[in-house]
Amino acid sequence: MTRLLIERLGGFAGFGLPGSPLKSRGELDLSKLPPKVREAIEELFNKPPSAEPTRPGPVHPFRYRMTRQTESGSQTVEVPFDAVPSVVHESVKDVLD
Amino acid sequence: MCTCFIIPRDVLTQLSQDPELAAEVRKNLLDTAHISHELRELRTQAGLLTSVALASVDALEVVAAAPAVTVYDCKHTFTLPGTPVPNPGSSADPTAKRTFNETTGVAKFYKDVFGRNSIDNHGMTMMSSIHYGKNFNNAMWNGSQMIYGDGDGTIFIDFTNGDDVIGHELTHGVTQHSLQLEYKDEPGGLNESMSDCFGSMFRQWEKNQDVKHADWLIGHDIIGPTAKAKGITCLRDMAHPDAKHCLAPQPTKYSQITPGMDPHYSSGPPNLAFHTACMEYGGKSWDHIGKVWYRALTGSGAIPKMQMKQFAARTRQVAHQLYSGTPAVAAAVDKGWKHVGL
Repeated sequence: MTRLLIERLGGFAGFGLPGSPLKSRGELDLSKLPPKVREAIEELFNKPPSAEPTRPGPVHPFRYRMTRQTESGSQTVEVPFDAVPSVVHESVKDVLD
Repeated sequence: MCTCFIIPRDVLTQLSQDPELAAEVRKNLLDTAHISHELRELRTQAGLLTSVALASVDALEVVAAAPAVTVYDCKHTFTLPGTPVPNPGSSADPTAKRTFNETTGVAKFYKDVFGRNSIDNHGMTMMSSIHYGKNFNNAMWNGSQMIYGDGDGTIFIDFTNGDDVIGHELTHGVTQHSLQLEYKDEPGGLNESMSDCFGSMFRQWEKNQDVKHADWLIGHDIIGPTAKAKGITCLRDMAHPDAKHCLAPQPTKYSQITPGMDPHYSSGPPNLAFHTACMEYGGKSWDHIGKVWYRALTGSGAIPKMQMKQFAARTRQVAHQLYSGTPAVAAAVDKGWKHVGL
Protein backbone atom coordinates (compact mmCIF):
# COMPACT_ATOMS: atom_id res chain seq x y z
CA MET A 1 0.00 0.00 0.00
CA THR A 2 1.25 3.51 -0.77
CA ARG A 3 -0.34 6.11 1.45
CA LEU A 4 -0.90 9.57 0.06
CA LEU A 5 -1.36 12.22 2.73
CA ILE A 6 -2.98 15.37 1.44
CA GLU A 7 -3.25 18.85 2.92
CA ARG A 8 -5.03 21.70 1.15
CA LEU A 9 -3.43 25.05 1.92
CA GLY A 10 -4.09 28.72 1.34
CA GLY A 11 -7.32 30.28 0.16
CA PHE A 12 -9.04 33.42 1.39
CA ALA A 13 -9.42 32.02 4.89
CA GLY A 14 -5.81 30.86 5.10
CA PHE A 15 -6.03 27.08 5.52
CA GLY A 16 -2.93 25.73 7.27
CA LEU A 17 -1.65 29.10 8.49
CA PRO A 18 0.54 29.08 11.62
CA GLY A 19 -1.65 29.36 14.68
CA SER A 20 -4.84 28.74 12.74
CA PRO A 21 -7.08 25.82 13.66
CA LEU A 22 -8.38 25.75 10.08
CA LYS A 23 -7.14 22.63 8.32
CA SER A 24 -8.07 20.65 5.24
CA ARG A 25 -6.77 17.09 5.22
CA GLY A 26 -7.28 13.85 3.40
CA GLU A 27 -5.69 10.51 2.70
CA LEU A 28 -5.72 8.09 -0.23
CA ASP A 29 -4.38 4.61 -0.87
CA LEU A 30 -2.58 5.04 -4.20
CA SER A 31 -2.69 1.31 -4.91
CA LYS A 32 -6.51 1.41 -4.97
CA LEU A 33 -6.78 4.23 -7.53
CA PRO A 34 -7.45 3.65 -11.24
CA PRO A 35 -4.09 3.29 -13.04
CA LYS A 36 -4.41 6.50 -15.06
CA VAL A 37 -5.24 8.55 -11.95
CA ARG A 38 -2.38 6.95 -10.01
CA GLU A 39 0.01 7.76 -12.87
CA ALA A 40 -1.17 11.38 -12.97
CA ILE A 41 -0.46 11.75 -9.23
CA GLU A 42 2.92 10.02 -9.49
CA GLU A 43 3.85 12.39 -12.32
CA LEU A 44 3.24 15.28 -9.91
CA PHE A 45 5.90 13.83 -7.61
CA ASN A 46 8.30 13.19 -10.48
CA LYS A 47 7.84 16.62 -12.08
CA PRO A 48 5.99 18.89 -9.66
CA PRO A 49 4.55 22.03 -11.28
CA SER A 50 5.36 25.16 -9.33
CA ALA A 51 2.86 26.17 -6.64
CA GLU A 52 4.39 29.65 -6.58
CA PRO A 53 1.91 32.38 -7.47
CA THR A 54 2.56 34.22 -10.72
CA ARG A 55 2.18 37.91 -11.35
CA PRO A 56 -0.28 39.23 -12.28
CA GLY A 57 -2.57 36.41 -11.59
CA PRO A 58 -4.75 34.47 -9.25
CA VAL A 59 -5.16 35.44 -5.63
CA HIS A 60 -6.36 33.09 -2.90
CA PRO A 61 -5.88 29.93 -4.86
CA PHE A 62 -5.66 26.73 -2.91
CA ARG A 63 -2.62 24.54 -3.32
CA TYR A 64 -1.97 20.98 -2.18
CA ARG A 65 0.83 19.59 -0.09
CA MET A 66 1.00 15.87 -0.82
CA THR A 67 3.20 13.30 0.90
CA ARG A 68 3.50 9.80 -0.41
CA GLN A 69 4.69 7.20 2.05
CA THR A 70 6.23 4.00 0.80
CA GLU A 71 8.36 1.30 2.36
CA SER A 72 11.45 3.13 1.12
CA GLY A 73 10.56 6.47 2.64
CA SER A 74 8.41 9.51 2.09
CA GLN A 75 8.38 12.39 -0.41
CA THR A 76 6.49 15.68 -0.20
CA VAL A 77 5.52 18.11 -2.96
CA GLU A 78 3.39 21.26 -3.16
CA VAL A 79 1.36 21.68 -6.33
CA PRO A 80 -1.31 24.08 -7.63
CA PHE A 81 -4.97 23.32 -7.01
CA ASP A 82 -5.78 22.61 -10.65
CA ALA A 83 -2.87 20.21 -11.13
CA VAL A 84 -4.47 17.34 -9.23
CA PRO A 85 -7.15 14.84 -10.26
CA SER A 86 -10.64 15.27 -8.87
CA VAL A 87 -10.14 12.35 -6.45
CA VAL A 88 -7.68 14.54 -4.52
CA HIS A 89 -10.20 17.40 -4.26
CA GLU A 90 -12.81 14.93 -3.03
CA SER A 91 -10.52 13.33 -0.46
CA VAL A 92 -9.97 16.36 1.77
CA LYS A 93 -12.24 17.48 4.57
CA ASP A 94 -12.16 20.94 6.10
CA VAL A 95 -11.95 20.90 9.88
CA LEU A 96 -11.34 23.17 12.83
CA ASP A 97 -8.73 21.58 15.07
CA MET B 1 0.16 28.52 -13.55
CA CYS B 2 -3.45 29.52 -13.26
CA THR B 3 -6.39 28.72 -11.08
CA CYS B 4 -8.54 26.77 -13.48
CA PHE B 5 -9.68 24.42 -10.74
CA ILE B 6 -10.61 21.76 -13.29
CA ILE B 7 -9.53 18.22 -13.93
CA PRO B 8 -6.03 18.37 -15.42
CA ARG B 9 -6.00 18.17 -19.19
CA ASP B 10 -3.83 15.03 -19.17
CA VAL B 11 -6.40 13.15 -17.10
CA LEU B 12 -9.26 14.29 -19.37
CA THR B 13 -7.30 13.27 -22.47
CA GLN B 14 -6.39 9.89 -21.05
CA LEU B 15 -9.94 9.20 -19.94
CA SER B 16 -11.19 10.20 -23.40
CA GLN B 17 -9.10 7.31 -24.78
CA ASP B 18 -10.50 4.73 -22.36
CA PRO B 19 -12.23 2.07 -24.49
CA GLU B 20 -14.42 1.06 -21.57
CA LEU B 21 -16.25 4.40 -21.69
CA ALA B 22 -19.13 5.06 -24.10
CA ALA B 23 -18.26 6.96 -27.29
CA GLU B 24 -20.37 9.95 -26.32
CA VAL B 25 -18.70 10.14 -22.90
CA ARG B 26 -15.26 9.98 -24.51
CA LYS B 27 -16.16 12.77 -26.95
CA ASN B 28 -17.41 14.96 -24.08
CA LEU B 29 -14.17 14.40 -22.18
CA LEU B 30 -12.08 15.34 -25.20
CA ASP B 31 -14.17 18.46 -25.85
CA THR B 32 -13.80 19.45 -22.17
CA ALA B 33 -10.03 19.00 -22.37
CA HIS B 34 -9.83 21.25 -25.42
CA ILE B 35 -12.07 23.94 -23.95
CA SER B 36 -10.32 23.87 -20.58
CA HIS B 37 -6.93 24.28 -22.23
CA GLU B 38 -8.15 27.30 -24.16
CA LEU B 39 -9.72 28.81 -21.03
CA ARG B 40 -6.42 28.32 -19.20
CA GLU B 41 -4.51 30.03 -22.00
CA LEU B 42 -7.06 32.85 -22.03
CA ARG B 43 -6.69 33.51 -18.31
CA THR B 44 -2.89 33.51 -18.50
CA GLN B 45 -3.03 35.88 -21.43
CA ALA B 46 -5.48 38.17 -19.63
CA GLY B 47 -2.99 38.58 -16.85
CA LEU B 48 -0.13 39.26 -19.22
CA LEU B 49 -2.25 41.76 -21.15
CA THR B 50 -2.82 43.72 -17.97
CA SER B 51 0.92 44.14 -17.45
CA VAL B 52 1.69 44.99 -21.06
CA ALA B 53 -1.19 47.44 -21.43
CA LEU B 54 -0.35 49.31 -18.26
CA ALA B 55 3.28 49.54 -19.24
CA SER B 56 2.61 50.62 -22.81
CA VAL B 57 0.13 53.44 -22.74
CA ASP B 58 -0.43 56.50 -20.63
CA ALA B 59 -4.17 56.44 -20.89
CA LEU B 60 -6.28 53.68 -22.32
CA GLU B 61 -9.44 54.59 -24.12
CA VAL B 62 -12.38 54.40 -21.71
CA VAL B 63 -14.26 51.16 -22.27
CA ALA B 64 -17.49 52.17 -20.56
CA ALA B 65 -18.77 55.08 -18.50
CA ALA B 66 -19.79 52.65 -15.77
CA PRO B 67 -18.94 48.97 -15.54
CA ALA B 68 -21.31 46.18 -16.41
CA VAL B 69 -21.77 43.73 -13.54
CA THR B 70 -22.33 40.12 -14.58
CA VAL B 71 -23.00 36.98 -12.56
CA TYR B 72 -22.52 33.37 -13.63
CA ASP B 73 -23.66 30.16 -11.91
CA CYS B 74 -21.13 27.31 -11.76
CA LYS B 75 -23.87 24.97 -10.48
CA HIS B 76 -21.47 23.37 -7.99
CA THR B 77 -18.90 22.46 -10.61
CA PHE B 78 -15.36 23.80 -11.09
CA THR B 79 -16.09 24.90 -14.64
CA LEU B 80 -15.73 28.63 -15.25
CA PRO B 81 -17.35 30.98 -15.80
CA GLY B 82 -20.56 28.96 -15.57
CA THR B 83 -24.05 29.70 -16.87
CA PRO B 84 -24.98 33.40 -17.17
CA VAL B 85 -27.61 34.48 -14.65
CA PRO B 86 -30.15 36.72 -16.44
CA ASN B 87 -31.06 39.91 -14.55
CA PRO B 88 -29.08 38.91 -11.46
CA GLY B 89 -30.22 41.98 -9.54
CA SER B 90 -33.73 40.54 -9.40
CA SER B 91 -32.79 36.87 -9.33
CA ALA B 92 -34.72 34.39 -7.20
CA ASP B 93 -31.32 33.04 -6.18
CA PRO B 94 -30.32 35.16 -3.17
CA THR B 95 -26.62 34.47 -3.83
CA ALA B 96 -26.88 35.82 -7.37
CA LYS B 97 -28.87 38.86 -6.24
CA ARG B 98 -26.50 39.62 -3.38
CA THR B 99 -23.41 39.20 -5.56
CA PHE B 100 -24.82 41.58 -8.16
CA ASN B 101 -25.92 44.18 -5.62
CA GLU B 102 -22.72 44.16 -3.57
CA THR B 103 -20.46 44.18 -6.64
CA THR B 104 -22.44 47.13 -7.98
CA GLY B 105 -21.96 48.69 -4.55
CA VAL B 106 -18.20 48.23 -4.72
CA ALA B 107 -18.16 49.89 -8.14
CA LYS B 108 -20.13 52.83 -6.72
CA PHE B 109 -17.82 53.02 -3.67
CA TYR B 110 -14.71 53.28 -5.82
CA LYS B 111 -16.41 55.78 -8.15
CA ASP B 112 -17.97 58.05 -5.53
CA VAL B 113 -15.10 58.04 -3.05
CA PHE B 114 -12.00 57.77 -5.24
CA GLY B 115 -13.26 58.65 -8.72
CA ARG B 116 -12.28 55.23 -10.00
CA ASN B 117 -14.17 53.67 -12.90
CA SER B 118 -14.24 49.94 -12.10
CA ILE B 119 -11.34 47.63 -11.31
CA ASP B 120 -9.09 48.93 -14.09
CA ASN B 121 -10.26 52.56 -13.95
CA HIS B 122 -11.52 52.17 -17.51
CA GLY B 123 -14.93 50.62 -16.92
CA MET B 124 -14.08 46.94 -17.29
CA THR B 125 -16.92 44.50 -16.70
CA MET B 126 -17.01 43.17 -13.15
CA MET B 127 -17.65 39.47 -13.54
CA SER B 128 -18.45 36.99 -10.78
CA SER B 129 -19.06 33.25 -10.71
CA ILE B 130 -21.07 31.81 -7.82
CA HIS B 131 -21.86 28.31 -6.48
CA TYR B 132 -18.32 27.30 -7.42
CA GLY B 133 -17.59 23.70 -6.42
CA LYS B 134 -19.52 21.86 -3.73
CA ASN B 135 -19.51 23.28 -0.16
CA PHE B 136 -16.41 25.19 -1.28
CA ASN B 137 -14.79 27.19 1.50
CA ASN B 138 -13.14 29.88 -0.58
CA ALA B 139 -13.49 33.11 -2.54
CA MET B 140 -10.94 34.17 -5.15
CA TRP B 141 -9.86 36.68 -7.73
CA ASN B 142 -8.35 34.63 -10.58
CA GLY B 143 -6.77 37.47 -12.53
CA SER B 144 -9.86 38.43 -14.49
CA GLN B 145 -12.94 37.59 -12.44
CA MET B 146 -14.35 36.82 -9.03
CA ILE B 147 -15.18 33.31 -7.88
CA TYR B 148 -17.29 32.47 -4.78
CA GLY B 149 -17.93 29.22 -2.99
CA ASP B 150 -21.04 28.49 -0.95
CA GLY B 151 -19.16 27.45 2.17
CA ASP B 152 -19.81 24.12 3.90
CA GLY B 153 -22.48 25.55 6.18
CA THR B 154 -20.51 24.67 9.32
CA ILE B 155 -17.12 26.39 9.33
CA PHE B 156 -18.20 28.95 6.75
CA ILE B 157 -21.45 30.06 5.18
CA ASP B 158 -21.90 31.48 1.68
CA PHE B 159 -18.89 33.69 1.01
CA THR B 160 -21.05 36.27 -0.78
CA ASN B 161 -22.62 37.08 2.60
CA GLY B 162 -19.57 39.18 3.42
CA ASP B 163 -19.68 42.66 1.91
CA ASP B 164 -16.08 43.07 3.06
CA VAL B 165 -15.24 39.76 1.35
CA ILE B 166 -16.60 41.06 -1.95
CA GLY B 167 -14.81 44.39 -1.49
CA HIS B 168 -11.62 42.53 -0.52
CA GLU B 169 -11.59 40.29 -3.56
CA LEU B 170 -12.41 43.05 -6.05
CA THR B 171 -9.62 45.17 -4.55
CA HIS B 172 -7.15 42.45 -5.60
CA GLY B 173 -8.18 43.40 -9.11
CA VAL B 174 -7.54 47.08 -8.35
CA THR B 175 -4.08 46.18 -7.03
CA GLN B 176 -3.42 44.12 -10.14
CA HIS B 177 -4.23 47.20 -12.23
CA SER B 178 -2.15 49.60 -10.17
CA LEU B 179 0.82 48.65 -7.97
CA GLN B 180 0.75 45.05 -9.28
CA LEU B 181 2.14 43.80 -5.98
CA GLU B 182 3.54 40.29 -6.14
CA TYR B 183 1.65 37.80 -4.04
CA LYS B 184 4.60 36.75 -1.90
CA ASP B 185 6.85 38.08 0.87
CA GLU B 186 6.35 41.73 1.85
CA PRO B 187 4.61 42.75 -1.38
CA GLY B 188 2.18 39.87 -0.77
CA GLY B 189 1.42 41.10 2.74
CA LEU B 190 0.82 44.59 1.34
CA ASN B 191 -1.39 43.12 -1.39
CA GLU B 192 -3.51 41.35 1.21
CA SER B 193 -3.58 44.42 3.43
CA MET B 194 -4.82 46.64 0.59
CA SER B 195 -7.73 44.26 0.14
CA ASP B 196 -8.53 44.15 3.86
CA CYS B 197 -8.27 47.96 4.14
CA PHE B 198 -10.51 48.71 1.15
CA GLY B 199 -12.83 45.77 1.92
CA SER B 200 -13.33 47.11 5.42
CA MET B 201 -13.75 50.68 4.13
CA PHE B 202 -16.43 49.48 1.69
CA ARG B 203 -18.28 47.73 4.54
CA GLN B 204 -18.11 50.90 6.66
CA TRP B 205 -19.16 53.11 3.72
CA GLU B 206 -22.21 50.92 3.02
CA LYS B 207 -23.26 51.27 6.65
CA ASN B 208 -22.13 54.91 6.84
CA GLN B 209 -20.14 54.09 9.96
CA ASP B 210 -17.40 56.20 11.47
CA VAL B 211 -14.20 54.58 12.66
CA LYS B 212 -15.42 54.18 16.25
CA HIS B 213 -18.55 52.24 15.24
CA ALA B 214 -16.89 50.02 12.63
CA ASP B 215 -16.11 46.46 13.71
CA TRP B 216 -12.82 46.26 11.74
CA LEU B 217 -13.38 42.51 11.43
CA ILE B 218 -12.68 40.74 8.15
CA GLY B 219 -15.04 37.89 7.32
CA HIS B 220 -17.38 38.38 10.28
CA ASP B 221 -20.45 37.65 8.15
CA ILE B 222 -19.23 34.36 6.68
CA ILE B 223 -18.33 32.54 9.90
CA GLY B 224 -20.41 29.37 10.27
CA PRO B 225 -21.98 27.86 13.40
CA THR B 226 -19.18 25.39 14.15
CA ALA B 227 -16.59 28.15 14.12
CA LYS B 228 -18.80 30.47 16.16
CA ALA B 229 -19.28 27.76 18.78
CA LYS B 230 -15.50 27.79 19.25
CA GLY B 231 -15.49 31.55 19.83
CA ILE B 232 -14.38 32.52 16.32
CA THR B 233 -15.93 35.79 15.20
CA CYS B 234 -13.86 36.63 12.08
CA LEU B 235 -10.98 35.65 9.86
CA ARG B 236 -8.90 38.66 10.85
CA ASP B 237 -9.20 41.65 13.15
CA MET B 238 -7.58 44.82 11.83
CA ALA B 239 -7.74 46.43 15.29
CA HIS B 240 -6.28 43.42 17.13
CA PRO B 241 -4.53 41.19 14.60
CA ASP B 242 -3.35 38.67 17.22
CA ALA B 243 -6.74 38.28 18.94
CA LYS B 244 -7.89 34.78 19.83
CA HIS B 245 -11.33 35.29 18.25
CA CYS B 246 -9.63 35.38 14.85
CA LEU B 247 -9.52 32.23 12.77
CA ALA B 248 -6.03 33.27 11.68
CA PRO B 249 -4.24 35.42 14.32
CA GLN B 250 -1.53 37.59 12.82
CA PRO B 251 1.66 39.41 13.86
CA THR B 252 1.27 42.98 15.12
CA LYS B 253 4.81 44.27 14.49
CA TYR B 254 6.80 44.62 11.30
CA SER B 255 9.77 42.95 13.04
CA GLN B 256 7.77 39.71 13.23
CA ILE B 257 7.49 39.40 9.45
CA THR B 258 9.86 36.91 7.84
CA PRO B 259 10.55 36.03 4.18
CA GLY B 260 8.18 33.43 2.77
CA MET B 261 5.44 34.25 5.27
CA ASP B 262 1.92 33.71 3.93
CA PRO B 263 0.44 37.06 2.82
CA HIS B 264 -2.66 36.48 5.00
CA TYR B 265 -0.27 36.39 7.93
CA SER B 266 2.07 39.25 7.03
CA SER B 267 -0.83 41.63 6.32
CA GLY B 268 -1.30 42.02 10.08
CA PRO B 269 1.09 44.95 10.69
CA PRO B 270 0.02 47.10 7.71
CA ASN B 271 -3.63 46.40 8.61
CA LEU B 272 -2.96 47.61 12.14
CA ALA B 273 -1.11 50.66 10.82
CA PHE B 274 -4.15 51.62 8.74
CA HIS B 275 -6.55 51.04 11.63
CA THR B 276 -4.36 53.07 14.01
CA ALA B 277 -4.12 55.97 11.55
CA CYS B 278 -7.90 55.94 11.05
CA MET B 279 -8.64 55.87 14.79
CA GLU B 280 -6.13 58.65 15.41
CA TYR B 281 -7.65 60.95 12.80
CA GLY B 282 -11.26 59.93 13.43
CA GLY B 283 -14.35 60.46 11.30
CA LYS B 284 -14.96 58.18 8.33
CA SER B 285 -12.09 55.92 7.29
CA TRP B 286 -12.54 56.60 3.58
CA ASP B 287 -12.59 60.40 3.86
CA HIS B 288 -8.93 61.18 4.51
CA ILE B 289 -6.79 58.21 5.52
CA GLY B 290 -8.52 56.04 2.90
CA LYS B 291 -7.74 58.62 0.23
CA VAL B 292 -4.08 58.61 1.29
CA TRP B 293 -3.99 54.83 0.98
CA TYR B 294 -5.75 54.97 -2.38
CA ARG B 295 -3.28 57.49 -3.80
CA ALA B 296 -0.36 55.44 -2.47
CA LEU B 297 -1.84 52.34 -4.12
CA THR B 298 -2.66 53.90 -7.49
CA GLY B 299 -0.50 56.99 -7.93
CA SER B 300 2.88 55.56 -8.88
CA GLY B 301 2.39 52.82 -11.46
CA ALA B 302 3.56 49.25 -11.04
CA ILE B 303 6.01 48.46 -8.24
CA PRO B 304 5.57 44.69 -7.88
CA LYS B 305 8.29 44.23 -5.29
CA MET B 306 7.37 47.20 -3.10
CA GLN B 307 8.45 46.65 0.50
CA MET B 308 6.42 47.73 3.52
CA LYS B 309 8.95 50.41 4.44
CA GLN B 310 8.53 51.93 0.97
CA PHE B 311 4.75 51.86 1.17
CA ALA B 312 4.83 53.47 4.60
CA ALA B 313 7.10 56.23 3.25
CA ARG B 314 4.78 56.70 0.29
CA THR B 315 1.71 57.14 2.50
CA ARG B 316 3.58 59.68 4.66
CA GLN B 317 4.58 61.62 1.53
CA VAL B 318 1.06 61.47 0.06
CA ALA B 319 -0.50 62.61 3.34
CA HIS B 320 1.71 65.72 3.30
CA GLN B 321 0.96 66.38 -0.37
CA LEU B 322 -2.79 65.78 -0.32
CA TYR B 323 -3.50 67.42 3.04
CA SER B 324 -0.80 70.06 3.44
CA GLY B 325 -3.36 72.31 5.16
CA THR B 326 -4.42 69.57 7.59
CA PRO B 327 -1.25 68.32 9.32
CA ALA B 328 -3.32 66.03 11.56
CA VAL B 329 -3.70 63.64 8.61
CA ALA B 330 0.05 63.17 8.17
CA ALA B 331 0.46 62.93 11.95
CA ALA B 332 -2.14 60.14 12.08
CA VAL B 333 -0.46 58.24 9.23
CA ASP B 334 2.90 58.60 10.95
CA LYS B 335 1.47 57.31 14.22
CA GLY B 336 -0.06 54.33 12.44
CA TRP B 337 3.23 53.15 11.01
CA LYS B 338 5.21 53.86 14.16
CA HIS B 339 2.74 51.73 16.09
CA VAL B 340 3.83 48.68 14.09
CA GLY B 341 7.50 49.58 14.10
CA LEU B 342 7.91 51.30 10.73
